[in-house]
Amino acid sequence: MGGHNDSSASEKKLSEAANVVPTLNAENLQSNMKVIYYSRTFMSIIGGVIAGILGFTGLTGFIFYFLVMAVTSVGLIAKAGFTVHSYFDSWNQIILDGFLGGLLSFVLFWTFAYDIVHIF
Amino acid sequence: MAADLVLDTAIRDWVLIPLSVVMVLIGVLRYFVSKLMRSNQVPDAKIIKEGQLIIRARNLRAAANFIPPKSFRARRFYFSNEENGLLIVPKGQVQNAQAQMFSDPNMAMDMMKKNLSMIIPQTLTFAWVNFFFSGFVAAKIPFPLTQRFRSMLQNGIDLSTVDVSYVSSRSWYFLNLFGLRGLFSLILGEENAMDDTQRMMQMSGFGFDPSKSLGAEKDSLDIVQHDWALPKFEHRAEAVLKKLAI
Repeated sequence: MGGHNDSSASEKKLSEAANVVPTLNAENLQSNMKVIYYSRTFMSIIGGVIAGILGFTGLTGFIFYFLVMAVTSVGLIAKAGFTVHSYFDSWNQIILDGFLGGLLSFVLFWTFAYDIVHIF
Repeated sequence: MAADLVLDTAIRDWVLIPLSVVMVLIGVLRYFVSKLMRSNQVPDAKIIKEGQLIIRARNLRAAANFIPPKSFRARRFYFSNEENGLLIVPKGQVQNAQAQMFSDPNMAMDMMKKNLSMIIPQTLTFAWVNFFFSGFVAAKIPFPLTQRFRSMLQNGIDLSTVDVSYVSSRSWYFLNLFGLRGLFSLILGEENAMDDTQRMMQMSGFGFDPSKSLGAEKDSLDIVQHDWALPKFEHRAEAVLKKLAI
């Protein structure tokens, strides 16, 4: 128990030290951001096609988009080994980045697949 | 609530799918054309020098906390002292760059080429869509919208009784134009069309007035609060080692 306390304290100290000095290489950070952007775009396109084929309409489709984005975030965090601060500045970047940009692609491919499968 | 329209499958086969495929292909074509037309002009030595200088100053600013205060002050003096600091631009040379920019036809030509490679395909595609596909109800978006969106989504058909979620072919073109940007960034790699516009903006900003960016860099270097980080790093190393030991 004491050991556990100690480790959590030292962890806290560690994260504090990491917060005080930005030790991230700017170029690597940018490349990480690019990876996030790519995976989000890819997931929104694939998610749009799936939503269209399954025939979601209205609010269901947008909820599906939120689900897909949440799954992407969890996947990215798992890929980062659950230590986000060693790859990114903050949690916002991994969770919120590219959210609205993907929405447009999602709507387009959703509409496309939905029309081809269900409307005609 | 208007009754559901029955759309002919021929519309799908001959309007919706060709339109989307053509949009994708034109995007790819535009990418390669702009890549071919990009002339690699010989960069001016002075501009390169100033750019490198700015990068060096920025590196110093970013890594300021990793060197002792004395070294930091020496380096800052090297960059921004009033007599012969590297970031100080003599007053007489300020409008020189602008005049040079106007007198250089190569740069204007390059910019025009880039603009043309953007505008011409878009106008052509729009004219093509108008000519062949005007007046079709091409698609239906799977979520309801308010009346306000009618002018946006049913551009080209004048029927006020049709439900707003039906999309005309011309508006489908616009939806494609904006929505395919993500797809292009996936299939064309990093240097997609959006990057191109960004680079253009950057270049015009850079070529516009280098002395201004030098001055800005000097100012931000002057206000850096130096705080040597290395003494604190012993705690950090201790924490890391303790974590490893457990």
